[in-house]
Amino acid sequence: MHIIDAALTNDVVMGGAVLTLAGLGLGLRKLDMDLIPAAGILSATFFVASLIHVPLGHSSVHLIMNGLAGLILGWAAFPALFVGLLLQAIFFAFGGITVLGVNAINIAGPAVIVGLLFRPFVIGASSAIKAAILGGLAGALAISLTTLFVGISLALSEESLIPAIKLVFLAHIPVMIIEGLLSAAAVYMIHTVKPELFDVMRQIDDTKDETEGWS
Amino acid sequence: MTYFANLFVKFSLTFSLALTLAIGLFVGAFALSSPALAHKVIASAYADGDAIEGEIGFSNGTMAKNVVVEVLDDSGAKLGEVTTDEEGIFRYQPTKAIALTFRADLGQGHVALYRMTEDELPQMDGASVTQQTSTPAPSVSSQDAPSSSNTAALGLSESAIASLVQQSIKAEMAALQSDLRKAVRLETKPLRKEIAAYKEKNDLQTILGGVGYIIGLFGIGFYVVARREANKVKKVAS
Repeated sequence: MHIIDAALTNDVVMGGAVLTLAGLGLGLRKLDMDLIPAAGILSATFFVASLIHVPLGHSSVHLIMNGLAGLILGWAAFPALFVGLLLQAIFFAFGGITVLGVNAINIAGPAVIVGLLFRPFVIGASSAIKAAILGGLAGALAISLTTLFVGISLALSEESLIPAIKLVFLAHIPVMIIEGLLSAAAVYMIHTVKPELFDVMRQIDDTKDETEGWS
Repeated sequence: MTYFANLFVKFSLTFSLALTLAIGLFVGAFALSSPALAHKVIASAYADGDAIEGEIGFSNGTMAKNVVVEVLDDSGAKLGEVTTDEEGIFRYQPTKAIALTFRADLGQGHVALYRMTEDELPQMDGASVTQQTSTPAPSVSSQDAPSSSNTAALGLSESAIASLVQQSIKAEMAALQSDLRKAVRLETKPLRKEIAAYKEKNDLQTILGGVGYIIGLFGIGFYVVARREANKVKKVAS
């Protein structure tokens, strides 16, 4: 899922870097104090989860958990996932420093999109089961969006669009299912054990114009 | 202030929880799927006679079959193109003594890159020179040998015999060299694979280090925000 150095043309790399900077700025503004612990945990979850590789044919796939991050953090998922990506690139040469921008867009972008789409419904869900179903959908959708983004960024560089997307997408169907289940379980657990987290999320959504985030 | 203290306790508690979770996850995963943890591309090239031979594959041991390898110079200009065989091995005949870069696109964002500096290149000039000087010499001596073989026992000087022997040894060594190279390469193949796999290993220490960095970074962020809030509270109070 992580694109490595030298796989992309310079234009794509630069575009990714610019978009990521914008996303980081926005995300940091939205990172409320009450969300920081959650952001840290989700960042660590992403960091560890994507180091676990399941071999699959030539390549291997790994969990990402960006759907859950987006669901809970919204725009703040951007800095959280970026930190995880940065450390993976530094410690494991996983991804690469120059393509960090593109990778951040590919992974944090879907997180934010899914967050914006599903958050209101998950917060407003009447029962834990409903919230869990929505959470599962969000988790699966985030992965499919990520494969789409990866396919597009590869296609922009060299490979033809449709086969690139097809390959990445097909390889990640099991990941979508697993992530969907994991996200659903996580949302279910939050809903029953720690519903305060949803209150924090709701507050931030309501008062986002008044509170000043840190930038 | 108790609000902040409360948050801080929550913060550290949740993090320790996350840490144990992460370790558990990782150890579990290791037990399940240790052999193919990574899927990185490995590429290497070495001089083989007067040509360059190279290998491209994945770190889990599968080789890149029938892949087009581009040969580039430092300015990025394409010098040539070769294709790997069934074992992921390609051969390229260098024409100039410059640093070469081998690049192969394996699809799905996997790119093999290997740069060979000038001193790693096969000794093109040196090899051809020795071949040129050494091949004519034995042929001359072999032409001479039959005619003088009858007289060898009689009156061929010792130094002439010595030089003849030396020449034939040299020729045989040259013939052996490529075999030797091949043998060494075969013998070290598992080693090279192991080293590549070792380089790919994500050990627990590094992962824990990464999680520690994350905790630290978010801790700093938390501190900054908390301070700002505290200052605001102070200002309002005064």
